[in-house]
Amino acid sequence: MKRKTLRNILTTTLLMAMVISGCGSQQSAEAPASQDDAAREVQSVASEEAQGQEQAASGEKDVVTALLPPVSGTYQDKLNAWVEEFNAENQNIEIQVTTASWEDMTQKLDVQVNAGSPPDIAFIGYDGITKYLDSGMLVDIGDYLDESQLGDFDENVLNYFRNGDGLYGLPAYCEVQCIGGNRQFLEDAGIDWQSVQQNGWTYDEFREAIQKGVVMDGDTVKTYGFVFACSGVTAKDYFSIFVKNAGMPAAFDEDLKYAYTSTKMLDFLTDLRALIDDGSMPKELSAIDAGKRWNMMLTGQTMITGKGLSSFEKSAADNNALLESGDPNAVEDSIELDYIVLPVPVFDGGEQNAYGAVDGYICLTGEKDPDETHLKNVASVAYYLASGARAAETCQELYLKPVCESGRTAYEELTPIENKNEDNTKAVELLTEQIAPARSDIPADLGAEAIQIEDEVIVPKFQGLLAGEVSPEDMYQAIVDAAYDAFGEEGCVQD
Amino acid sequence: MRKIRKDEIWAYVFIMVPLCTFTIFTLYPVVSAAVTSFQEYKPMGSTWVGLENFKNTLTNDLFYKALKNTFVYSIVTVPLSMFLSFSISIMILPFKKRIQSLFKACYYLPSIASGVALSFVWKWIYDPLPSGLLNSVLRVFGIENQNWLGSGKTAMASLIIMAVFAGLGQNIIIYIAALLGVDATYYEAADIDGAGFFQKVRYIVWPMVKPTTVFLAITGIINGFQSFQNAYLMTGGGPDNETTMAGLLIFNRAFKYFEYGEACAQALLLAAIIAVLAIFQFRLNSADVEY
Repeated sequence: MKRKTLRNILTTTLLMAMVISGCGSQQSAEAPASQDDAAREVQSVASEEAQGQEQAASGEKDVVTALLPPVSGTYQDKLNAWVEEFNAENQNIEIQVTTASWEDMTQKLDVQVNAGSPPDIAFIGYDGITKYLDSGMLVDIGDYLDESQLGDFDENVLNYFRNGDGLYGLPAYCEVQCIGGNRQFLEDAGIDWQSVQQNGWTYDEFREAIQKGVVMDGDTVKTYGFVFACSGVTAKDYFSIFVKNAGMPAAFDEDLKYAYTSTKMLDFLTDLRALIDDGSMPKELSAIDAGKRWNMMLTGQTMITGKGLSSFEKSAADNNALLESGDPNAVEDSIELDYIVLPVPVFDGGEQNAYGAVDGYICLTGEKDPDETHLKNVASVAYYLASGARAAETCQELYLKPVCESGRTAYEELTPIENKNEDNTKAVELLTEQIAPARSDIPADLGAEAIQIEDEVIVPKFQGLLAGEVSPEDMYQAIVDAAYDAFGEEGCVQD
Repeated sequence: MRKIRKDEIWAYVFIMVPLCTFTIFTLYPVVSAAVTSFQEYKPMGSTWVGLENFKNTLTNDLFYKALKNTFVYSIVTVPLSMFLSFSISIMILPFKKRIQSLFKACYYLPSIASGVALSFVWKWIYDPLPSGLLNSVLRVFGIENQNWLGSGKTAMASLIIMAVFAGLGQNIIIYIAALLGVDATYYEAADIDGAGFFQKVRYIVWPMVKPTTVFLAITGIINGFQSFQNAYLMTGGGPDNETTMAGLLIFNRAFKYFEYGEACAQALLLAAIIAVLAIFQFRLNSADVEY
């Protein structure tokens, strides 16, 4: 009986202690919120000074936290060595890295941002800047980097991390998102792919080419001319990558009028639908996901696929090696694939504009009055990660050229990739030069409205268009209606 | 004043633990969501916007479309799932305990599997190309190829089928437990009266398991209205928002656009709708049910 009572007391005490300590810490965390702003400011400054003096006296390091995904195949393995190197060279700074999978990256960052305690550095695509800027947590690092550091980056690519006058991050690379073909199939269809790589192609030329690429086996299609992953939100990629070549390189024109209300949009949508109606693309396109379309490419079920990245050449080469050695890990029913990088066709009234996915390191703070020294350290760490050997090694793995001078210098010293298709290398370099200019002039609120129209109107209607359940006219009208609601008729292109 | 006994003190202590847990993990978030629904939430300091979030929600066509989709999804999934699980339970019941356990385990297996893993299996089943599993089976019966998840005509039905099969196991276990609780003397009396199988089901089994049916219907509708995972993993709400349900809409509003205020307003409205439906169901079905 005594033992039972003792056990009850101990269990209850433990539970109560857990609950009370939880409440207690919450109370202490909330206490400053009840004080007035002036008092809090005084307390904050005093605390910072005290902290600085204490840090100097004790030799304590300024900790810079970073949340990073597996940017390339071996990126996260190399991180430890890079961090150790930086920490050794900078005795007053310590980088603490948290790694996350690509799938978890956005979710983890969103949770941390909305809890008010983001990491100092996070790796994201440039298109996330508007979202995080709105939360008030992005740091303008332009003031914390010197001219030589800023000048190291290609200006057009660096501009992708600008919004208004602020610079909120540094680019790690610029990945051209285009399309890619099977060399053997292209040649069998009589397509001069080298000419296409150098000179591009029009929509009509592309349409004719993919029609030639269709191979029938009785009544069923054995090989489609073109397959783009369009399941769920990936339909957004098909729309976004192709619309740049249809005379609408951005959602807003140079006068900041919403561009997708132009009649060019109707022509563009009609053209895309025609590719399915021709039988060159599967009528089930709207349900084909990224994995499925790459499987179709490897198994010879399509001549051209999208979206295509230059690193797909490596994926194809790896599978070829498995096939050659008879390894059962090769994709089932796959064939040897010589992957060819191809540009997106140009539509009537459009110009060649490649779609650049610029990813890099953004800098954040959860403090209302952050410590200037800390922000400078954060900027230094971001520059370190985005430049030099780090940029070179990452870009080489992704089959890309670095977007900073220091990275290019380091790249030259790396052992070249074996059996790299030089035509692809040149094609990617050419496409990189054709990347649409960054639009840092688009105000965050306009950008956010455009993203909402894209997510709630364009992508859903586009999925319907691909499924043959929404006509190009209906989709165009839905875009016009939504845009007039959001920006007013005056704020939209009318031609 | 009555003196509190020692045992009673212990009772209060033990009640306090779940009460604190409920306050911290349920009550506080609900109150916090209610407060946030009147704010434009920003991590660095929110601002009060009055009823703006509710106004935006109630003037948004997508909110009504999501509600309609959620209603269709729940109203088809719940009765279908209950009918199938009730039928399967009756078929399993006559077996010996070991065979019953085997069937229960088989049907319950999808319930313990990860939703992401299940979605991969279902994507394989719903492969839109002629080589897809379901399309291959249907072709044998002369049915032409279907774009299961990519077409507005079949996407919702595909999600419903997936939800029905995924939820069968749990319902079957609950129904079997209820069926085992029916006294055998009722069946013996029915046999003496010459009742057939369907008469026994109609006049003995169905009334005796009605409390279970009411419970499953109410919890099923609540879960149906809160469903999110299937649409998120399988269709992303498409095509043309035909599978966008309230849960997905709230998720997107909060975690895609960081509009927590509007997301909380939508969540509160959804909670109110679920509460009204649950009360309505309870009143409709439980008039002759004794607990």
